[in-house]
Amino acid sequence: MKDKLDKLIARAFAKPLYRIAMILLGLPTFAAASLAFLACKKREDEEYRRDMEKARKEAEEDGTLKRIRSAAESCLVQKYRYFGKQTDTAEFKKELEKLIRQDEDTELKGRIQASYAADGKHGRHTLVQFLCECLDNKGLLALSVVTSFPMYVLLLIFSNPYARYIFERLIMMIFVAFGVVLVVFTILHFASSDPAVNVLGETATPDKIAAFNRQYGLDKPYIVQLFRNFKNLATFNLGNSYSGNEDVMAAILRKFPVTLEMTIYAFLIAAVISIPIGILTAVKPNTAFDYAFMFLALVGLSLPTFWFGMIMILNFSINSHILPASYVEGNKLSLLMPAIVSGTHLAASLARNTRSALLEVLGQDYIVTARAKGLSNARVILKHGLGNAMIPIVTVAGLQFGGSLGGSAIIEKVFNVKGIGSYIIDKQFLPDIPAILGGVVYVSIVISLVNLATDLIYVWLDPRIKSRLKSN
Amino acid sequence: MKNETYFIKKANARKLNRYQEPRLLSFGAAAAAIVGAGCALMSYDVKTGAFGGIPLLIGGVFLAEALLTLLIWKGAEAQIIKTDDIGRPLRLTGILLFLTILNGNIFCAAAGLALMKKKKNLEYLVGCYMLLVEILVMIISALNVFKPWVCDTFFIGMGVLAAVIAVHALALPLVASHIHGNRADKVLVPVAVVLILSTVTGNLFSLLLGLIILKKCYTEDEYVTTGWIDVVKRLFRSQTAVLGAFVIVFLLTVSICANLTFDYGIAVDNEYSLILQAPSLAYPFGTDDYGRCVFTRVVFGARISLTVGIVSTAISIVLGIILGAIAGFYSGATDNIIMRVLDVFMAIPGLLLPIAIIAAFGTSIPNITLALGAGAIPGYSRTIRASVMTLNDAEFVEAAKACGAKDKVIIFKHILPNSMAPLIIRATLGIGAGVTAVSSLSYLGLGIAPQIPEWGNILKAGSSYLETNAYMAIFPGFAIVALVLAFNFLGDGLRDALDPKLK
Repeated sequence: MKDKLDKLIARAFAKPLYRIAMILLGLPTFAAASLAFLACKKREDEEYRRDMEKARKEAEEDGTLKRIRSAAESCLVQKYRYFGKQTDTAEFKKELEKLIRQDEDTELKGRIQASYAADGKHGRHTLVQFLCECLDNKGLLALSVVTSFPMYVLLLIFSNPYARYIFERLIMMIFVAFGVVLVVFTILHFASSDPAVNVLGETATPDKIAAFNRQYGLDKPYIVQLFRNFKNLATFNLGNSYSGNEDVMAAILRKFPVTLEMTIYAFLIAAVISIPIGILTAVKPNTAFDYAFMFLALVGLSLPTFWFGMIMILNFSINSHILPASYVEGNKLSLLMPAIVSGTHLAASLARNTRSALLEVLGQDYIVTARAKGLSNARVILKHGLGNAMIPIVTVAGLQFGGSLGGSAIIEKVFNVKGIGSYIIDKQFLPDIPAILGGVVYVSIVISLVNLATDLIYVWLDPRIKSRLKSN
Repeated sequence: MKNETYFIKKANARKLNRYQEPRLLSFGAAAAAIVGAGCALMSYDVKTGAFGGIPLLIGGVFLAEALLTLLIWKGAEAQIIKTDDIGRPLRLTGILLFLTILNGNIFCAAAGLALMKKKKNLEYLVGCYMLLVEILVMIISALNVFKPWVCDTFFIGMGVLAAVIAVHALALPLVASHIHGNRADKVLVPVAVVLILSTVTGNLFSLLLGLIILKKCYTEDEYVTTGWIDVVKRLFRSQTAVLGAFVIVFLLTVSICANLTFDYGIAVDNEYSLILQAPSLAYPFGTDDYGRCVFTRVVFGARISLTVGIVSTAISIVLGIILGAIAGFYSGATDNIIMRVLDVFMAIPGLLLPIAIIAAFGTSIPNITLALGAGAIPGYSRTIRASVMTLNDAEFVEAAKACGAKDKVIIFKHILPNSMAPLIIRATLGIGAGVTAVSSLSYLGLGIAPQIPEWGNILKAGSSYLETNAYMAIFPGFAIVALVLAFNFLGDGLRDALDPKLK
């Protein structure tokens, strides 16, 4: 148990970022340990110097040092001769000295190490080794756990490869979220249009505009505004929008579920249609069936979503009154058409990728083996084929899911869905900075989460990735 | 188990495989049938439940031509199986098929041109498509004569086009007979120069043909094939890829020639006596809510879509290559910094980054191009970085390093040329995505100014008249789909043509 903790601390301490995090989170422990370590280090350094001198004397006596010097000189002379350089220059002397010092050092250090090993002594400690020895004391360990609890939580996360992977990704995501705020805010801040004029109208008096700017802090310098936005992000309080002065967080939480629902429907429709098609076309490649569906998939990829949406409205709402033309809250049927339009692109790329991934796998030797074993066709294709083709399919599915969450803005505009995409677009024109920032950051965080989930599915699907993750 | 018919079938398939004609004819028949069926379906009126009108007529013509091609295809197959050759009378029906170009049936026309000639080399095929592009452009331009007036330069433009077609038609048999394998007779040098000069019409096929001929005229060893000509050859084996290239070149040529043969005034000036007219011969796609000819607007719209799509992709490729190559070559801290910054840009989903940039800096064409270009950089740099990282360990790079080559030389001379293939494919698909993005932005009201003819703008106007004048929203959409589909076809074809496994 104690051994494990020692190893864990040493391993975590070897990674620069974790070292910083550990020192910050376990400040009391590290402060106390460093003070004690400094006192101890002085004594140990003294001892080491003495041992070093002793070793040098011994080596001088048995002629080892002399041998090292002559060997280094002959080696260097050979080298200089090869390159056709003079050996009586200052450069030669300098290099020779350096070489001799290096070789002597290695020799002496080896001797000290050997003598320590023979005596069972530890030699000089590093901070971590010292800390681990201190923690051998049960009382000190308990004190340390109580005073620097966060550090032990970090170590606990570090000890489990999955937890560590997820934790690292989440930390990364936080940085990306701040980066997104920085980029989007900077772009919008230096925009040519003035939100105050756009919200209050052309006729607004200068006083009113000044009051508006004061209310939203727009009169402050760029850097102050930027840090206020960072603070807002950190505290999950995204502020109020310029137009209507509503709470951005509440608005997003109200609108995001609609987009998410639409995307999930789209995803389900796409998966149900495209994966069987992908499998069938891969099983019978280069047939009329294959050509027809791959052509359809390519057409699906090329359809501009807004135009396809319009054609759908024209056919199913205006001409035949089957489906409602625009979104009505609470009416699930009105989400069907947007979901189909959004799912077309998804289905097309999913079908194409399923086909190509499966085709590649079906050409492998182990498929021939599986067939030779006498397995049924369905079993070969579904278990051995699809099982191994799943990784690229999941990759594309994850990317496309994220993409359609972000790309839903246009479909939402066409079908008048009150989702997050159309919310962001509507606010672009002012530009309503808090609303846009909030919306974009929210969507990008959700997409990062989807990507993380995709990567975790890899681990579940592919034992090779699992073992790589564990050994890392 | 395997009886006689099985082996006969195999032998027949081998025979058929030696000839290109069955493939070309079947593709032409299928494509024409799809277009014809599509047109016929479009003529179906859901409200009244009746078929009819001009779409049905066009669809019928296409279907009939598809049937004709089908018959010829079957005949050719029977002849090949029987005599291992295609007879002269059947080859002459190619002329008949070629005439289908008159109603815009390029699929059957291309098959007809290929059927006519017995010995087809790559140059002949390229030349055929070059001619088809010009003839189709001329037909499209000729539709203007049904309008009340034509622009001043119309007859000059048509004359130039006719002259170019005549010259190219004369050059085609010359080219086909004077090229032997990898070597061409020196007589063709002036022909090649003329072909390259005639690229000013926008016909990239003639540029391609000219370059191939020049290369073959000055080739030193006729047993060595040139890499890029091989790629073109493989590309021309795929019917869909050629069709894609054809549509792109056609739209490019139309948008350049339109400056002479189409009247820009009809596309932008309001004409209140002609508001919301249904499609007719004078106004093939009808007129919009300001009385402007939608057909002319669609023709001029190709210009903007193509320019913005190509230029924005070029911007993102150049920046993506630089960033990706630096990140992949100098791994470590440099890589980390560049990729983390790009991760931030990549985290902003879909069109939201271009939208933010456009909202901030205004909606002009340069801004839109830059915004779309900026949004696509991370994807390209990731592609390049990945291939640079794999190539970084390759022996030839190690050799270059051992020879003391500078980093710049290693990156640009040794690594990048070898990692171009995935990039070319991505770029082709990227231009298609760019075309969609421009029109999407215009549709959202964040794109090009509404009076300028641009496909998204026409669709936006059409969306308000969806109930009464649906044609306004339908035709520009087809143009977008055709162009994007063309880039996707070409990208797919390039993926196969550039695949090192096939070399």
